[in-house]
Amino acid sequence: MNDRRRNVFVLLLVAGLLIASLFVIVTMPTKLGLDLKGGVQLIYQAKPTAQAKVDSESIGRSIEIMRKRVDQLGVAEPEIQQTGEREISVALPDVSNAQRAQNEVGKTAQLYFYDWEPNVIGPEGKPAPEDASVTGGENAGSATSGISEYQAVERALKRPPILRKNSTTWTPPQGKTPGCTPEQKDGCLYGSWYLIEPKHERVLCPTVGKEKVCAPAETKEALYADGYKPPKGAITKAVRVNPGTVLVQARPVENAEGKKLVESPNKWYVLNDDPVLTGSDITNPVQGFNEGNGGNGAPNVSFGFTGYGKEVFEKVTKEIAHRGQEAQLPGVSKEAAQQHFAVVLDGQLITVPSIDFSEYPEGIDASNGSQISGGFTLTSAQELASELQSGALPIRLDLISRSQVSATLGKQALQQALVALLVGFLVVCVFLLAFYRVLGAIAVGGLLIYGIYFFALIKLIPITMTLPGIAGLILTIGVAADANIVIFERVKEEIRGGRSVVAGIATGYRKGFAAIVDANVVTFMTAFILFALATAEVKGFAFTLGIGTLVSLFTAVLATQAALGVMSTTGVVTHPRALGAAKLGRRWTFDFMGHAKWFFSLSGTILLIGALAIGAKGINLGIDFKAGTRIQTGFVKPVTTAEISEELSSLGVHGATIQRFSNASVGGTGYQIATRTLHPEQLTKVEDGLQSAFGLKHFSEKSIGPTFGQAVAKSAVIAIIASLLVISAYIALRFEWKYAVPVLIALMHDLLITAGVYALTGREVTTATVAALLTILGYSLYDTIIVFDRVRENVPRMPRAAFSQIVNRSMSEVLTRSLATSFCTLLPVTALLLFGGETLQDFAFALIVGIASGAYSSIFIASPVLTQWKEREPVYRARRARLIAEHGEVPAYALVAGGKMEDVEPAKRPRRTRRGSLVAPEEAGEQISKEEFDELVRDLDIDNKPKSAAADVEPPPPAPAPKRAPEPQPEPAPLVDPTADLTPEDLVLKDAPKKTTRKNRNRRHGRPR
Amino acid sequence: MGMLAWVMLGLAIWHYTIFLPDRFWGGIVGALLGALAGSVISGLVIYGVKVGALAIPGEKTTDVGVVLYAVPGALLGLAAIYALGVMRGEQVQTV
Repeated sequence: MNDRRRNVFVLLLVAGLLIASLFVIVTMPTKLGLDLKGGVQLIYQAKPTAQAKVDSESIGRSIEIMRKRVDQLGVAEPEIQQTGEREISVALPDVSNAQRAQNEVGKTAQLYFYDWEPNVIGPEGKPAPEDASVTGGENAGSATSGISEYQAVERALKRPPILRKNSTTWTPPQGKTPGCTPEQKDGCLYGSWYLIEPKHERVLCPTVGKEKVCAPAETKEALYADGYKPPKGAITKAVRVNPGTVLVQARPVENAEGKKLVESPNKWYVLNDDPVLTGSDITNPVQGFNEGNGGNGAPNVSFGFTGYGKEVFEKVTKEIAHRGQEAQLPGVSKEAAQQHFAVVLDGQLITVPSIDFSEYPEGIDASNGSQISGGFTLTSAQELASELQSGALPIRLDLISRSQVSATLGKQALQQALVALLVGFLVVCVFLLAFYRVLGAIAVGGLLIYGIYFFALIKLIPITMTLPGIAGLILTIGVAADANIVIFERVKEEIRGGRSVVAGIATGYRKGFAAIVDANVVTFMTAFILFALATAEVKGFAFTLGIGTLVSLFTAVLATQAALGVMSTTGVVTHPRALGAAKLGRRWTFDFMGHAKWFFSLSGTILLIGALAIGAKGINLGIDFKAGTRIQTGFVKPVTTAEISEELSSLGVHGATIQRFSNASVGGTGYQIATRTLHPEQLTKVEDGLQSAFGLKHFSEKSIGPTFGQAVAKSAVIAIIASLLVISAYIALRFEWKYAVPVLIALMHDLLITAGVYALTGREVTTATVAALLTILGYSLYDTIIVFDRVRENVPRMPRAAFSQIVNRSMSEVLTRSLATSFCTLLPVTALLLFGGETLQDFAFALIVGIASGAYSSIFIASPVLTQWKEREPVYRARRARLIAEHGEVPAYALVAGGKMEDVEPAKRPRRTRRGSLVAPEEAGEQISKEEFDELVRDLDIDNKPKSAAADVEPPPPAPAPKRAPEPQPEPAPLVDPTADLTPEDLVLKDAPKKTTRKNRNRRHGRPR
Repeated sequence: MGMLAWVMLGLAIWHYTIFLPDRFWGGIVGALLGALAGSVISGLVIYGVKVGALAIPGEKTTDVGVVLYAVPGALLGLAAIYALGVMRGEQVQTV
């Protein structure tokens, strides 16, 4: 396929995809994330239970169950996904009641059935089935008997470890994993921990939020989770109740009508942890009413059994009935003799029914299922039934982050993001048009196509658009424009060097393409790493950045090349002026390497200031890293920060930081309240309190637990290290390993300077900042790769030059495009900073600092380091020595006679045909065969040109392989001939009659005319 | 936080080695490694002596004084790499 046909084909493909994209855009909806349309996001961390360890299977099962629960909530388009090794993110759009969502989705309720009397532990630490003061007798499991929690713990401490596979507090062996040991490696279960205060005979709550009921902790460390500190002066002791023994709370206290009077009485029983059935052994749980004989019409939950459940239930109830019969001694009433069966939900007894041995002497037939009744309201019975329907979660899920965005704020954030996107796009277009004229117009066309493709992909995949995702999209506009700039500068350079417009375009694209691919591959790899390791919030950014980079490669390179190719061959673009290449381009003559020491000093000073700023001011880490709660709110009544602070104190929230801010969505003035992590109950209390005190217009909150902050920080560090390794490996492969080291140093420089700037400015570091930093890792390489690519290209062209001269020349050639690409990327990012909302501004600030630092380090850090290092190689030492001997110093640039740069056409590698014969190279842009070329040379009579020039024009001899230039080499002849840099296509397109070309082409294709 | 500041300081000091004749063992990259390793080790040692345990200062315990713990180590690291270079007969290179 010749170039023209290929171009037409590409344009047709572009047009076809464009039509398809427009169809997708019109017909498919856009999926907006929570931050753009409001909702609740919950992030859970999985912990092992006695029944299951945390692995992909248990997490997958949990996600399935959570999805069922969310479906029961009636939430449209929920997103539940695993976001880290142990994290599950649940996004619930349009949900405004975070508390209810949290209660429903992450409930890990475990239902257990116990044979009661043989398992209740007495004061001696042994079962006391016949002691009614221990079992409760007729009032088994009620709050009228039982002991305090402290006494229960003391009683349980007398028990030795008993390791049973059905134990609820011990992780038994699973596959090759051995059972849990007292060391509790990897947080496995081995008993349960309590924090007691012997002096006051009380058990302290290990968690801040649960004020009345203290749930046991799984590990000793968990006793102090969420920053819990025992009361001042309290002498506490962490104790472990051995596996095989559990504490269960007495049933709620109810009145005669079944209404709960005390939900959580401080009455406890110690049980031998030997449950006979679990929630997974029951089927078809439904909420019903107690309407049978003697039924009081109260809500209950009825259910059936699995085969195993039925068998065990019948066996156990039979045993219980037999025990009852045996216990009915003379003088003992039937009620006193009856034995019990206990149902425990989440560590509290729900019901402890007796088995009437006279009615069921052989146990209860489980064919028709059973019922749980007692103490249910309609709602709680429905909830239990629903929970049992979806199944209990196999693993424990701890809520580590909760955020709620109001729909109003989401809408406003979307508007701001769209404005930033539009402005960013427009300024990039204006820049391209002003700087590159016709080329710019084509690039703008490419950008438009890119935008349409990308929007269609977002809808088609579909990608949930979030604020970070839009930030990624805006950045890719800059990346796409950068690709065009790199190529256009190359095209202009080629045309200014004497090539025709067509040849310049072809050669420019060919030579620029390698650099573009390298730069984009690195950006894509960074985006991939970010996607794989980052938190859910940042994944959207990484995904759009990665997809955008790939799409932009197609639109900015292939599509624009095809468009330009067609335009140039059809006469639309024929003059260099149209491409902005009429005038000789500005050539920098600055001695970059000679002045490197001053730039090094500048960088060193900035880093020094940054390091001292970290010491003096520290880095303002946001709640994403430190844990805490941030509330954004607007009030109906005019209030002062002092009034808010007072109200918060009355609600038990002390030391909150309150800031005013202006925001249209909150009616002008809003307030941001930052405080320690508030638990859901406290948050609800705060919301209710503020509502009643001042009236709420709007309430958004984000709570991060310390575990989440640690996970974020850990994943960020891993992502940075992984990115550095992957980037180094890629650079080493594409260039040589010595090129990778300066790249690493430059990246380190960029990251640390950005950290220093954050310390100096006191700006808050969020997860968005980390994402931006990681992006900088990929993007700041763009300039470095452009420079190194040119260095690599110039090395064989300058066989006598010192390495510093090669780098100086390379820098002078690419500095304009480096500045242009950085400026072009800074344009949309600046739009993001100016017009984006809070989250986008976080991204934008880090990106601006990183991009500026990246451009600077590419030129003034990476290149000098490379130079210093390469100059140590023997070949460059020899050249340097020769230059010093000749000139007394090493000149900044390697000039030959006439003041021109030293430039030797490197030997080209001959290419083999399919038949194995060697032919002259046929590069992209060469329009004719060697025979055609030879014929043209004869026609144009340029065989009589000076030999040196002719050598440059002729294709290289086919047989010999390229050799390294020996040291020292003779000076090459000055390149004075105007045709010296001509390649075959120049000759054809400038001077050869069109007819001849066609004739020759036809001849090449074997169709003689 | 302390580690970040020490690395930054080590890198900052390394930048000024460009004024010295390049006789570092491994050249400018060897100097970088010397400066970074020296700054981190020196920070750990001095801070360790201060608090009585091998630890990295956190956000709250990192102040200007702690940051400066890296200076002697960075300088010593550079000196060691330079001395090694001289001993190995590295030739002077200037750009």
